[in-house]
Amino acid sequence: MREFNVLVVDDEDEFRDLTVKRLEKRGLKAKGAAGGKEALEILEHSHTDVVLLDVKMPGMDGIETLRQIRIMRPLVEVVLLTGHASVDSGIEGMKLGAFDYLMKPIELEPLLEKLGDAYEKKRLHQDKIEQAQMKRHLSMPS
Amino acid sequence: MTGVQEFTQRTRRTVDGSVSCLQSAVCFLGKAMQRIVSFFRNMFSPVQEQRLSPEELRDAFRKRYANFRSLLTANNNALQAMAELEKLYYGSKGYRMAVVRSKITTILVNVYKMISNLLAMSDGKYKDLETVFERISQDIENIVERRPVLHQGPMVLPLDEVKREVRDQVGEKMANLGEVGAIDGLVIPKGFVLTASATRHFLTDANLAEINRRLQVLDPDNLEDLYRTCEEIQKMVRESPLPPDLEELLYVHYARLERGTVPHCRVALRSSALGEDTAGVSFAGLYRTILNVDRDSLVAAYKEIVASKYGARAISYRRKRGYRHEDIEMCVGCLVMVDSLVSGVTYSRDPGEEESEVIRINATAGIAKGVVDGTTITDLYLVSRETPHAVVYREMRQDQTASALTYGQIKKLAEAALRLEQHFGAPQDIEWSIDHQGTLHILQSRPMLTVKVEDSDDDDNRTPQVEEGGEAPFMLGGICASAGIASGPIFRVDTTETMRRFPEGAVLVLEHPLPDWAPLLSRATAVIAEHGSEAGHLATVSREFGIPALFSLPGAMAGLVDGEIITVNAGSRAIYRGRREDLLRRRTVRKDIMAGSPVQRIVTEILQHVTPLNLNDPASPQFKPSWCETLHDITRFCHEKSVSEMFNFGQRHGFDQAAAKRLVGKVPLEWWVIDLADGFREGINIEEKTVRIEDIVSVPMLAIWKGISAFPWQGPPPVSVRGFGSIIFQSTMRPELDPAVASALTVKNYFLISENFCNLSVRLGYHYAMIEAYLSDLLTESYVTFRFKGGAADLGRKAVRARLLADVLETYEFRIELESDSLLATLKKKPTEYLKQRLQILGYLTLHARQLDMVMNNSGTVGQYRDKFIADIEEMLACCTTPIFGESGHAGEQETAAR
Repeated sequence: MREFNVLVVDDEDEFRDLTVKRLEKRGLKAKGAAGGKEALEILEHSHTDVVLLDVKMPGMDGIETLRQIRIMRPLVEVVLLTGHASVDSGIEGMKLGAFDYLMKPIELEPLLEKLGDAYEKKRLHQDKIEQAQMKRHLSMPS
Repeated sequence: MTGVQEFTQRTRRTVDGSVSCLQSAVCFLGKAMQRIVSFFRNMFSPVQEQRLSPEELRDAFRKRYANFRSLLTANNNALQAMAELEKLYYGSKGYRMAVVRSKITTILVNVYKMISNLLAMSDGKYKDLETVFERISQDIENIVERRPVLHQGPMVLPLDEVKREVRDQVGEKMANLGEVGAIDGLVIPKGFVLTASATRHFLTDANLAEINRRLQVLDPDNLEDLYRTCEEIQKMVRESPLPPDLEELLYVHYARLERGTVPHCRVALRSSALGEDTAGVSFAGLYRTILNVDRDSLVAAYKEIVASKYGARAISYRRKRGYRHEDIEMCVGCLVMVDSLVSGVTYSRDPGEEESEVIRINATAGIAKGVVDGTTITDLYLVSRETPHAVVYREMRQDQTASALTYGQIKKLAEAALRLEQHFGAPQDIEWSIDHQGTLHILQSRPMLTVKVEDSDDDDNRTPQVEEGGEAPFMLGGICASAGIASGPIFRVDTTETMRRFPEGAVLVLEHPLPDWAPLLSRATAVIAEHGSEAGHLATVSREFGIPALFSLPGAMAGLVDGEIITVNAGSRAIYRGRREDLLRRRTVRKDIMAGSPVQRIVTEILQHVTPLNLNDPASPQFKPSWCETLHDITRFCHEKSVSEMFNFGQRHGFDQAAAKRLVGKVPLEWWVIDLADGFREGINIEEKTVRIEDIVSVPMLAIWKGISAFPWQGPPPVSVRGFGSIIFQSTMRPELDPAVASALTVKNYFLISENFCNLSVRLGYHYAMIEAYLSDLLTESYVTFRFKGGAADLGRKAVRARLLADVLETYEFRIELESDSLLATLKKKPTEYLKQRLQILGYLTLHARQLDMVMNNSGTVGQYRDKFIADIEEMLACCTTPIFGESGHAGEQETAAR
């Protein structure tokens, strides 16, 4: 697995800590956040590639957090996690530009695969932007 | 290896799915730059003057292709989830709402992805789809989220005011008991009911939301998890404070009971759940009954019973029978304890036989709990239903010299049983106690589960029978608690720890058939216990699930060794060594345990919005978003339009000549080729409307073509009358199946190609097949997929055909997923030469499977065709040394060359 930064956002301590630990064991850099607000703070200050985001949280819920992430860090890919959420929130998340969604409870392998895919998308996206920028710089008379 | 190299390799190895497709698209685009540039010039020049750089052009193309690929992936995922939902619905196993919900979400999200991709490809041309999708998903959401209607009423009702009419307030059990109390000559204990309104007052919305959240994330197959979660939820319920007004009411009504009996009277608190109204569902012994409760522990006992709704047994049972937790509401009966001399259970008809003329009474000294728990050994009486109710059979199982019941008591019980049966209009299962004054108290009366006994020959419970032929049983005896035959390895359970390790498909061996072991019944093939009787809860649940159960078998725990395979015939009370196929063949199919349950009703309704396909003919004027009624329609529409968007892309921008070319030469049927990039030989005339096989350089297409042209197609074989009738019938039902009205588009077969990629859609009126392949030097990127669905004829024959194709493909190491008539065969990460061979096989099958439309009527024919297919394929592969390039593609020549 390539090394990239994952932020796990879930209000359930046990689930979050376990997921972070398992991801780290598989060579990823993982952090945890207990809620939407904390997640946005971490995104503000440290490098994150992919966010694993629980839809159902007290306070700022997953959908609102997703909305904020899209504004603040449009390049960061978000994988939604739905458990007790209604069927609707899966679709709503996709409409807001989430990369994909997963159902709780999740197995490690499909989770890694999904996070990897999300990271790949982010990387390609970033490459493209960098290339465009590079071209602009090159074409500019110095 | 340098760090960079290693990084790149790793990246490639882990890339899969849509990402790899995107990269693939980038790869094959390299060489065709010049053509693409002219393509996009044509595309953009009429509209705008802006000149795009080659990179930007390549990007635009890549995006479109990525959308197309991602749409195809979403299509596959959506159809897969639809098939899985149908499989659950039509299957014989229980399923729970969470699984249904997750399938629906998968379907909805993927259909949504398809729409987004199509809109991106078509510059928003089919925007109406969004409205349609919104409407359908809202309909589905409404069905999924629908809750049972709850009636508000008083929080407490005295039992003597309770009738059937208030059962949506007091639950089935107490409603029935109230009815019994009103029958002349029958006595029930004094008491009152804490209604559903009380429970709702006690458990707040916040409580319920938290409970639901925990249940949602629970994996019920993980017993560890199940028990922990149940314990947590129950603890939460126990620790929630009872609202003061409810507490006051409880004490007021208790004081009334004291006034009616004696001060400080003891009471029994019994569960009475609401919503358990499906015929054939017993919910036996799932919830708590607490005896001998005094005033001080009244509140705690009440909470305990409300909490028992979330017991492990109850949760796994509801799950198995298709009940959502919100479908069940717990009510609690509070009854004055009967000072019992003897207690027991009466069946107004012996459940062993269907039209039994005897009453069965199980009795024990003291209170009745032990009888239903399966912990107490009981005396058995079979009593004639005719007056004067002679005792026709008696079995003293208790270690007593005297019989538990006198004849006078037996007569009284028989009369009460017939009285109750008459009142409720069905055979009854009655729990009772006789007090020291000789008064008979009815504690519960409910309709008996009429379980059809599977092996009526063997049902003589009183004498063990020896099977004819084969090795004799090594254990014989006991009581048949649930008839039936099953086989599996022995697994003895005596602690919760061993319970958690219980493997799927094992024979459960117990000392006591306690109701606590009931969650294991969803995994056990049979149950054997040293103690217990046919009247216990575990026996009831075993009968309900159709699991053979043999109880009161002495020495079972010691005599049976873990891991040894045995065959149990509960009906003849015999255990055999090994797996006895001769006995197992007698077994009948297990019944549909979900029938009529709330979850099944929900899925029935949901499927109406998901699976029916109304849009069949792309040429019909009705083939548009506004005619999409189901999610399946939307997927069909998106898929069709995405293919034609790839195809029309050029057309819309003055590029039609090059977009699709008809394959010419002596080729069977009609084939069209769309070059995505690099698929045609360099230097061919782009303006030509036709292309010859020699002009194709797409490696996967050539491999498929080799299979298509390996043997001449002989046309459809003669039709059997039955087969033809079925096709005519279907054609009448679905006009677009009629060959006479088949439109031009439906008979076209498209190859979308590049040098290393090929997507072939074959839509030949009756069936739909798709082969897709990407061949790369990187193993991780290479794949071949084959989809096959439909065809003329009824679903049964379609399924047989899909099975046949699956069999053949399995022979060639394809990974198979088969749901009814829809087949998916895949291969991944294999060398190119290997995949080329497999593509050849697919090419061959795609063409020749058409012949099967008319002849799949008997298994003999099926076998014949499978053998012929495999023989042909072997012959074809044997002569595979000829180079792939430069062949003519002409069927006749190809065959000559092969010989």
